[in-house]
Amino acid sequence: MQPLLDAFSLGGTYALAALGLGLVFGVLKLVNFAHAELITISAYIMVITNDLPLVISFILAAFTATVLAIITELAVYRRLRGTGPAIMLIASFGLSVGLQKSYELIFGALPRSAAVAPWMTGSVEIAGLNVTISSLVTVALTVLILLAMGYLVDFTTLGLQLRAASSDFKTARLLGVRSNRLITSSFAISGLLAAFVGFIIVVENPQVEPMFGLNITILALVGIVIGGISSLRGCALGGFIVGFILSILNTFLGNARVYAYSYLFLAVVIILLVRPGGILSKQNEMERV
Amino acid sequence: MTLLTVENLYSGYGKVDVLFGISLSISAGKSLGIVGPNGVGKSTLLKTIAGEITPKSGSISLLGETISGRKPEDIVRMGLSLVPEGRQIFSGLSVTENLMLGLTGRKDKASSKVALDQIRELFPVLNSHATHQAGMLSGGQQQQLAIARALLSNPKVLLLDEPSLGLAPTVIIDVFEKLKEIIANKTAVIIVEQRAHLVTTFADETVVIRDGQIQASLTPSDAKNEEMLRKAYFGTGS
Repeated sequence: MQPLLDAFSLGGTYALAALGLGLVFGVLKLVNFAHAELITISAYIMVITNDLPLVISFILAAFTATVLAIITELAVYRRLRGTGPAIMLIASFGLSVGLQKSYELIFGALPRSAAVAPWMTGSVEIAGLNVTISSLVTVALTVLILLAMGYLVDFTTLGLQLRAASSDFKTARLLGVRSNRLITSSFAISGLLAAFVGFIIVVENPQVEPMFGLNITILALVGIVIGGISSLRGCALGGFIVGFILSILNTFLGNARVYAYSYLFLAVVIILLVRPGGILSKQNEMERV
Repeated sequence: MTLLTVENLYSGYGKVDVLFGISLSISAGKSLGIVGPNGVGKSTLLKTIAGEITPKSGSISLLGETISGRKPEDIVRMGLSLVPEGRQIFSGLSVTENLMLGLTGRKDKASSKVALDQIRELFPVLNSHATHQAGMLSGGQQQQLAIARALLSNPKVLLLDEPSLGLAPTVIIDVFEKLKEIIANKTAVIIVEQRAHLVTTFADETVVIRDGQIQASLTPSDAKNEEMLRKAYFGTGS
C-alpha cells in the first residue's frame, strides 16, 4: 500500500506543479521557468520560519511565493508582452537564473535545512498496514487543492475567463476580459500552487538550496507536454502521470533505479507517439466547420 | 444623436500603413455599411475602432469621449462591441458560457439576468442549444451566438466584420433580419461586408473603401444601379 500511496503522493505533487505552469501558459503562452524559484522561495521560508506554528510558517511561504510571482509578472513579463514568444522564453530563463543567484546571495550556496513539520515523517497504521503521515497528508492536500482548482476553473467567472483567454485572448479582451488583471491573477494562483508544492517537498527533503525547485519544474514541464499543454486538466493529468510513474519506477527498480528517468522518458515518447498533442489535447475537441 | 465619430484616421500594422485619413460617423438606430475589395483596410478600420490596433493619428470618439488608443476591454465597457471576422466563438465552451462571457463587458451587472433573457428571446435558437459545445453549432447559429454575445455588453455601437462569411443565402437573410431588430432598438450598427449589393441594400449609408481611403458613399437606392456599384467598388465601370 505504501508504494501506491507514495506514487499518488508524488503524482499529486507534480500535478500541482504542472497546474501552476499550465495556468500561466494558458493566458500568456509562456513556459515560465521561474516557477521553479517560486517553489524554492516557499521552501526557504518554511525552513527559516520552522520554529513558528506550521500554519503561520506556510502562510508566510505562500504569501512570499504569491507576491514574488506577481512581481515577476509586473516587473518583467508585462513589459515584454508583445515582443514575441522567443524573447519571453529567454526572459523566463534569465529570471530563473537571476532568482537562483539572488537566493545564493541571500541564503548562501550551501543547503539550508530544518525539520519542517517533523510529525509528518512518522507513520500510522491503517488496516494493519503502516503508512507514512506525509504521504497521507500530501494525497489529501493535493486532492483538496485539485478539487478547489476544478471548482475555480469550472464554476467561477475567473475560471471562465481563464478558459476563454487560454483559447483566444484577443476575443476575450474584445468581450471585456481585463487582460492585466487576468494575467496577474494567473501568476498569483501559480505562486500559491508553487507554495503548496514547496511545502510538500520540503517536508520530505528539508535540504533547501538555490536550485531546489528546478527538478520538479522540469519534470512538470514534461508532464504538461504529455497531458496537453492547452488544457488545464491535461496539465494536471500529465504532471500526475509523470510523478506516479517516477515513484513506481523508483520503488520497483531497486538497484536499477538510476535508469528510472530513462524508463520515464520512454513512457513519455510512447504517449506522445500515440497522442502527439498530449492526452487531453484540445486538438481532439469536436468542432463543426 | 451622433454616437461614434471617426476623424482623419490613419492606422496600420507596424511600419505598414493601411488606412489614410478615414472619417465617418454614425447615429443611434442607424446602420452604416463598409464595402471594398480584399485587403483595402475594412477589417483594420473595425479593429482600430475597437481598440485592437492603436491608430497612428486621427481621433475616434464614442458619445463624445475619445476612445482612440484605449484598450479593447475598456472600449467595450464604454459601449462599443465588435463581432470579429470568422465569429471567433469559443468552440470548446458551451453556448451559455459564451453568452456569460458577453456579460463581462457590461457596466450594469444588476440587469445581467434580464439582458440574458432578452437575448434568448431575440435568438431562440440559442436556447435549445444552451448546454451544447459552441463549436458544434452550425455556421448560422455560431454567427447568431457571436452577435448575441456582443449584444450582452449592452453596446450603443455594434461593429460586425463580415457577418455573412461562410453562410448559406437563407441563413444570411436570417442574420440580417436579426440585425434589423437590433437597429430598431436604437443600436448603431456598422457592417463590413464583401457582398456590396447585400449591404448597400440593407444599410442607411454605405461607404466604399479602396487603397485605405473612403472613395464613395452609397444609399440603398444606388444598389439597383449595377454600373454605379461596380465603379464605386473597383474604381472602374468596365
